[in-house]
Amino acid sequence: MRFNPKKFFELAKEKGIEHSDVGVSHSRSTSFSIYHQEVESFSQNETFSIDARGIVNGKFGTAYTEVLDKNTYKFLVDAIYSTGSVIDADKQAEMFEGSKKYHKKNFFKAKPTEDFKERIELAKEIERRIRAFDPRIAEVASVGYSENFSDSLLANSYGLNLKDKGCSFEIYAEVTAKDGDEVKTGFKVFADHELEAFDIDTFVKEVAEDALNKIGAVQCKSKKYPTVLSPETFTSLLKAYLSNMNAEEVQKNSSLFVGKLHEQVASKKLTVVEDGLVKNVFYRYHDDEGVAINKKNLITKGVLETYLYTLETAKKDGVEPTGNAASAGKMVAVPNYFYVKPGKKTFEDMIKNIKEGVYITDLQGLHAGMNAKSGNFSLQAQGFMIRDGKVAEPLTLITVAGNLVDVFNNIKDIASDLKLCIMDGCSSPSVYIKKMAISGK
Amino acid sequence: MINKKQAIEVLNECLATGADYAEIYIEETNSKSYATENGKVDSASVSKTHGAGIRLLNDLQSVYGYTNNIEKNGLLSLAKSLAASFSGEQRVKITNLKIKKVKNNHPHLRPYDEVSDEEKIAYLKKGDEAMNIDEKIVRRAASLAHYTKKVTLINSKGFIFKDEKERGRLSLSCIAKDGDKIETAYEGPGASAGFEYLENSIDPAELGKNVASTAIKMLYAKECPSGKMPVVIGNGFGGVIFHEACGHALEASAVSKNLSVFANKLGQQIASEVVTAYDDGTIENGWGSNNIDDEGNKTQRTLLIENGILKSYLIDDFNGRRMNMKGNGACRRQNYKYEPTSRMSNTFIANGKSTPEEIIKATKLGLYTKSLKGGSVNPATGEFNFGCSEAYIIRDGKICEPVRGASLIGSGAEVLMHIDMVGNDLKRAQGMCGAASGSIPADVGQPTIRVSEILVGGNGGELK
Repeated sequence: MRFNPKKFFELAKEKGIEHSDVGVSHSRSTSFSIYHQEVESFSQNETFSIDARGIVNGKFGTAYTEVLDKNTYKFLVDAIYSTGSVIDADKQAEMFEGSKKYHKKNFFKAKPTEDFKERIELAKEIERRIRAFDPRIAEVASVGYSENFSDSLLANSYGLNLKDKGCSFEIYAEVTAKDGDEVKTGFKVFADHELEAFDIDTFVKEVAEDALNKIGAVQCKSKKYPTVLSPETFTSLLKAYLSNMNAEEVQKNSSLFVGKLHEQVASKKLTVVEDGLVKNVFYRYHDDEGVAINKKNLITKGVLETYLYTLETAKKDGVEPTGNAASAGKMVAVPNYFYVKPGKKTFEDMIKNIKEGVYITDLQGLHAGMNAKSGNFSLQAQGFMIRDGKVAEPLTLITVAGNLVDVFNNIKDIASDLKLCIMDGCSSPSVYIKKMAISGK
Repeated sequence: MINKKQAIEVLNECLATGADYAEIYIEETNSKSYATENGKVDSASVSKTHGAGIRLLNDLQSVYGYTNNIEKNGLLSLAKSLAASFSGEQRVKITNLKIKKVKNNHPHLRPYDEVSDEEKIAYLKKGDEAMNIDEKIVRRAASLAHYTKKVTLINSKGFIFKDEKERGRLSLSCIAKDGDKIETAYEGPGASAGFEYLENSIDPAELGKNVASTAIKMLYAKECPSGKMPVVIGNGFGGVIFHEACGHALEASAVSKNLSVFANKLGQQIASEVVTAYDDGTIENGWGSNNIDDEGNKTQRTLLIENGILKSYLIDDFNGRRMNMKGNGACRRQNYKYEPTSRMSNTFIANGKSTPEEIIKATKLGLYTKSLKGGSVNPATGEFNFGCSEAYIIRDGKICEPVRGASLIGSGAEVLMHIDMVGNDLKRAQGMCGAASGSIPADVGQPTIRVSEILVGGNGGELK
């Protein structure tokens, strides 16, 4: 049985739902993990889901289901009607007729693996090499592999009909290193739309060193240090800062960027480019409302270029939607894939004049310790001391605290080591902040 | 949905290549939610989750798969492709299945679906409007979400379990703003019960007022000082510290692979003598309670730590194989898309002997955090972090000025040893716990406790 959007739109109209849209997605995935040279778990999955919305007296009703049978159409229409009817907020539901031009590309050409023998061998080889890397590697908690394929459709009663295909391949490893009573963990994940770029030597070295380099970690003295943030830790802070670009937050007066459009919100060193059309797993050519995605600057030399709009918030400000809508219960505006424009100096060059500083490579507790709306944060961190221009002893159980506005206005330098940060869906080089408050002993 | 005869056929397909255990988990969850903003209903949604997960075990190997096609052909084809992972002879053969009655210990007297939209929305708006206590409260949000989950679990031990649960939760949050300063506050009570829980136990107007006053208080608080200091942690959600710093490291998923700081420590002292703690999945109507776990075992009240001595882990049958131990009803998953594993239910530190007043009075200079926000922990090292949602400085045994932006950092093993006072005001609070088998409802809890020394992160310089 296939879902027929037209049939749904017609039934909705009969019920008095003026316009409706539907996102249909179908995905297949296979994953496995290796532990002690055995396949410890193997998983094969296939799922189907429908997200539907409709306009009832000017308000959106929403429904979701994973069941496709003859009752599905009626279920969706009834659910939309009942949820749309209770909304009394002063707002007008907007549905999109379509953009003039979409930059649709298809480089998701990889096919599902038929025989996993070779993949399993690869994962076992990774485990063996990690164990052999250093005698202090105490355990490889798991080496995992997964591949995902998806087909989806976004259609609405205006005739919008946007199809998507996607695929991704992931390999991850978790290790623990032990020296005496001291235990440290390391983690690394590789993800791409094809496996070709995977390099086992680099992967093994990086995950093993992630744990090994932390051995012997100490707490530094509490004070303000010149601080260098790794690509991953800088993007964590940047993502929190950019969450203030959501126009809804600005309109409701709960964003740090109220009144800051076209104003300086960061040091002149910082330029952030949003490029949803990038050739990696984060590629998208339209957002969840069907608006075309184009390349644009979010921040140019420290100046905020735009807010991020959904159809509804754009109409309120009398501007065009920006292709940033994401469905999260209701539509919110979030950045697509973006990168921080790299500087000219290498990492080594950038830190060579720091006499005593801190290099942060890991931040924890972002969901609790970060208040993105006020910009205040206090986070658990790990990293290294920088002494006489070089990376020195490892640090653990330290906290870094401050305010995002200060951090972004105090960027002293940006290195050239641009890196894709898979977990955050963006890329950044290492960034040097003039001073940050670090607590340790 | 398959019948008994078809289930036998699917199980035998699973077991055809040598698996020693197979299990079919079929779930149908119907949920509804409502959200208000500044007093008006802003969104509402209905959703239906329906699918099946099949798990095969062969000694220490597991194979898992899921699908939305829960008819015989869908399940058979999934069973076949999963069984292809093994290449042995059939060892277990299923000829009959027996229905095991699951007793419901968590009555829902007024099922949410029988309460009108109007009544639920009126309740919600009361909470929303109660937060409107000051013009500095710039945004108020309230939401109510409830679901019923019907689970059928069929396993190769020859049993069919049918369980049904209902949960509902209220959330109230607001944003207070003055110039550049912004603070947020939140409360989210919930239960495994019908609407009667909220109706009878939670006054939305009172809760809303409390949430708003916390946000206003924190708005004018000074930045929290940093450094090592004694910390008194309030009852209720303060228990998240035990959940993160200790609970996760007692889960068999970490312990069985020696990836926990508490592995091989049964019978040993892992906490100070004043600490006794339980995980109790049987509490009537508890947010993290269940009748049976996701392997069909009855949930239990498990003594984890008694007077500082480690008494038990949280074990699922599969990880228990590696540990030579039986599951103790702790196997859970978010839904059919997750392979189940050992998880917490309602986890709390038991009452001690001190009153909260005595604890404050005995502290000369330190931090009192009335409640905590979420946190996270690395179970292998035990290193954790938490944000404080409402905190004050204690001076000469008295609660003094409020401070904002505080976080607590440490290692679980150390903090447990440094708990030196435990109050007698045990309270539980509701949260969502995320881990390998997804996001599940879990209660945290504790009486007021004092940790003699903990690293506090903040932006306010040294504590003087």
